[in-house]
Amino acid sequence: MASSSDVTSSADRTPGNPESGSEERRGRVRMRRAAVMAVPATLVAAGLAVLTAQGALGVQFAISGMPFTVTATDLTGTGFEQFGSLDNMAEGSPNAGDTGGQVLVVTSAIKNATLTKLCQSVDLGGTNLKIQAGSGSQKVQATDLTTDSTELSGNASFDNIEIGNDASTLTKAGVKGPIGVFSQQADTVHIANLRQVNYATTAGVFKLPGLKLSFSSSGC
Amino acid sequence: MTTADRPRQGLRPAFRHWRARRPFWGGLLLALGGGWILLTEKASLKVVLHIGMQGLAGYLLPGLMLLLGLLILFNPAQRLFYSITGVLLSLGTWVTSNLGGFLIGLLLGVTGSCLAFGWLPDQEPRRGRRVRKQAKPADGAGLTKV
Repeated sequence: MASSSDVTSSADRTPGNPESGSEERRGRVRMRRAAVMAVPATLVAAGLAVLTAQGALGVQFAISGMPFTVTATDLTGTGFEQFGSLDNMAEGSPNAGDTGGQVLVVTSAIKNATLTKLCQSVDLGGTNLKIQAGSGSQKVQATDLTTDSTELSGNASFDNIEIGNDASTLTKAGVKGPIGVFSQQADTVHIANLRQVNYATTAGVFKLPGLKLSFSSSGC
Repeated sequence: MTTADRPRQGLRPAFRHWRARRPFWGGLLLALGGGWILLTEKASLKVVLHIGMQGLAGYLLPGLMLLLGLLILFNPAQRLFYSITGVLLSLGTWVTSNLGGFLIGLLLGVTGSCLAFGWLPDQEPRRGRRVRKQAKPADGAGLTKV
């Protein structure tokens, strides 16, 4: 490289090269020019946040690899499936602990779900990221909601439940499990005081009226 | 003074020179924003395939953000197109990808895009740098050029 030979000859004078280093015209950010983009972008971002908080805009979620807690005072859904499966974490994940990177989970899939007072928190080590929504008159709505949970509690009631199906023959919510695994499915589901510890969740569309995103010392 | 110091002295000015010719922080922040959003949504591919195109968009947008950030770094001549596309994608991740990686990735992406958009090459040195230069004897050539 040419620059390395320059440095050896004039290493004691300046850190940069004498001809290019001291007179070099650097590129720079012009604040007024950046503001031309920053101002509309901020307005659009604020608009998106407001629309989501009003429940007018649905947003998609896909989280996994970290255990997180979901609570809701009331969950009503149509098209319910549940079966056991195994979640694999990304290789070398710091969340693996003594599990060897695999967790036994219960996969629940709900075609259409309505949740009241949804609260979701992720432990980030010391502080919790907390998302709350649906505490007002409008409820949280999710379609194609799939969760992988290690713990699930609440008072549940089902309509038309079929228990003991093979997981590969499920039809109610469109998800199929591994063959030869115990499963159950139902037309409708109602769970009061829901509490889940999840490893993965995905939802086709999530509507979050009254969205509140905050960092807090306590989880849900 | 040892042989280990020498390559570092050669590399650092070279890096400074490289950085001076491109919107370094803009591209870096945009790429980091895309990477962060991808990290927050490592859902298993099976579930993504089940949900279909909507779910894939959640990966496509941050993936493109990462790519545009790197393109800003390695092809700064096209930075206007990259940064405008980048800011639109960053805003789009609010809808498709975990609220823009829980807001953090979205902020990184928008900030990076704005910095890349506002960046111009061949600017006059900052005042602080010019004052420092005046202290040196060989400043005449630098000032007359300006």
